Amino acid sequence: MTLAQRGRWTTIGALFLLAGIYVRALRYTPVEVHQGLAQKIFYLHVPAAWSAMLSMGFVGLASILFLMLKDARYDRFAAASAEVGTVFCCVMLTTGPLWARPVWGTWWTWDARLTLTLMLFFLFIGYQVLRGAVTDPSLRPRYAAVVGICGLILLPFIHLSVYLFRTLHPMPIVLKPSAPSLPAPMLVTLLLSFGVFTLLYVGFVMQRYALGEGATDA
Amino acid sequence: MPEPVVENGGYMMAAYIVTAVILLAYTFILARRTRNKHD
Repeated sequence: MTLAQRGRWTTIGALFLLAGIYVRALRYTPVEVHQGLAQKIFYLHVPAAWSAMLSMGFVGLASILFLMLKDARYDRFAAASAEVGTVFCCVMLTTGPLWARPVWGTWWTWDARLTLTLMLFFLFIGYQVLRGAVTDPSLRPRYAAVVGICGLILLPFIHLSVYLFRTLHPMPIVLKPSAPSLPAPMLVTLLLSFGVFTLLYVGFVMQRYALGEGATDA
Repeated sequence: MPEPVVENGGYMMAAYIVTAVILLAYTFILARRTRNKHD
């Protein structure tokens, strides 16, 4: 079985598990009292944000390894992870406003967390535009690696922005020093969703990486 | 002015549908690209 086929089956399995997350979140997870049904958007929005940040984290790490070791596989992996990260960023940036409209009363506000995540999206787009624009195959991976490392540097600022700046965005409820501040049924749904989105990331990257194998314009 | 919580189920459904559409669309695009490459 080729890498592309393994990736395809991993993706299909993850999509079935995602259907299970939909059922669990919509049918078996309690409704939050203050935010109502809109709170359930959180089971997709937060894991999508996690996958987008995971993607950019791997783009940055692979970029560093490429610059150190000059191994084209790292560059190919970074390109794959960046494309997949853009998809998760799209999910994050569409579900976020759909949650904000009923809860905050506005689709969008230029607070630190939202602005920095929008910057992350533009970095993903910029990374791919750069790869398409630089025609010299020896320069393309190096230029792209610099953008990838900039994305990696951005990640801690995104995560800590709710502490560093006055912001409307909720504080972290799982990825924080103290115990998660969420009732058990909601926490289980969220953690399962984190797992499924991570598996989806793996499946997508395997397929996208396989596309780049043997190609000069990965 | 935030809307009453009882009326915000539509936003939830929209978010779940949009997520499914984006992820399924990318799945099909990737499947088609990999199939074209390996065929």
